[in-house]
Amino acid sequence: MDFSNRYFRWLALVLRIALGGIFIYAAWAKLRDPWELYALAINSYEVLPLWAVELVARTLPWLELLIGVGLIAGIGLRIWSFAVSLMLAVFFALMVRAFAKGMQISCGCFGGTGDIISKWTLLRDGSMLAGSLLLTWMAFARKRQAGPPASAVPDPAPDRIPV
Amino acid sequence: MKSYAVALVALLPCLAASLGEVDKAKMIGNPGAPVRIELFSDFQCPGCKAFHETLLPVIIRDYVVPGKAYIFNHEFPLPMHPYSREAANLATAAATIGKYQQVADVLFLNQTSWGATGKVWDTVASVLNPAEQKKVQALAKDPAILAQVQQDVDAGKAQNVPQTPTIVVSRGTKRYAFPGPDQGNYVLLRSLIDGLLK
Repeated sequence: MDFSNRYFRWLALVLRIALGGIFIYAAWAKLRDPWELYALAINSYEVLPLWAVELVARTLPWLELLIGVGLIAGIGLRIWSFAVSLMLAVFFALMVRAFAKGMQISCGCFGGTGDIISKWTLLRDGSMLAGSLLLTWMAFARKRQAGPPASAVPDPAPDRIPV
Repeated sequence: MKSYAVALVALLPCLAASLGEVDKAKMIGNPGAPVRIELFSDFQCPGCKAFHETLLPVIIRDYVVPGKAYIFNHEFPLPMHPYSREAANLATAAATIGKYQQVADVLFLNQTSWGATGKVWDTVASVLNPAEQKKVQALAKDPAILAQVQQDVDAGKAQNVPQTPTIVVSRGTKRYAFPGPDQGNYVLLRSLIDGLLK
């Protein structure tokens, strides 16, 4: 697939801005409230000890903000797109686990008192994960397609003249 | 029409006094305390029973007794519980005679029993004398009491209360909902309230 064509460049731009915007909004929604509310949402998943819950609640929103800004800036896209995919994959796996266990808990996606995990929240986060994976694939594939610098590519042999 | 309006105006202070009594009875602690803790609870919800019996006494010990906070109880009967609205009406009616806490205690204590049989009144009556029983039974059907319960429900919905029990802690303009408080996350709730007290 040729990821350097105009259609894919626009798609990548839309994905970058959408995911970046969502991550910046998610970070803001968490940072505007006391960290304890986001910690409560993380704690309700019952996967981390309380000391780790506090650490994640205090640091993750800043990481989301950094990733969001990185995606929108578009510099070092391979790093940011990989980071966003990894983060969304972890979030999605935890949400699927909680849903499968029948836990009626807030997803914590946009702060402490967000939506209760449901098919809708899974669809929303699943779509975001699909978008981020596509963006990551495009970022890495475009880099490969760009290939080595022009000076490193040998000239075609001039003596190969079809007879 | 005029006499009806006059009668209504004459009745308003009585209604206000009665609802003021309800508020007082549903409150634990000094309303002059800096932090207000609003509790949205459902008498038929198992998590609310656990909260009432384990964490509420701890919050009272840590914050209400030292005068740092006061608690206000809101009824939030969930539609999935067939008898919780009736229990909320009876408890609110009991609040008018200052018996809210006793009724709340007995309802949570015997939740499994009346939750299965639907005999809410028998449970409530067990902590009231015959005169109080008569009064509470009548008041539980009073439109003012029913409206008071609905007002609690509406307040919860307006604050996006996602589940029961949910605590809303506030001081001044700062207001935070803390759904599902239990012993496992009390350290977080404590940190949140302490943050408001600073």
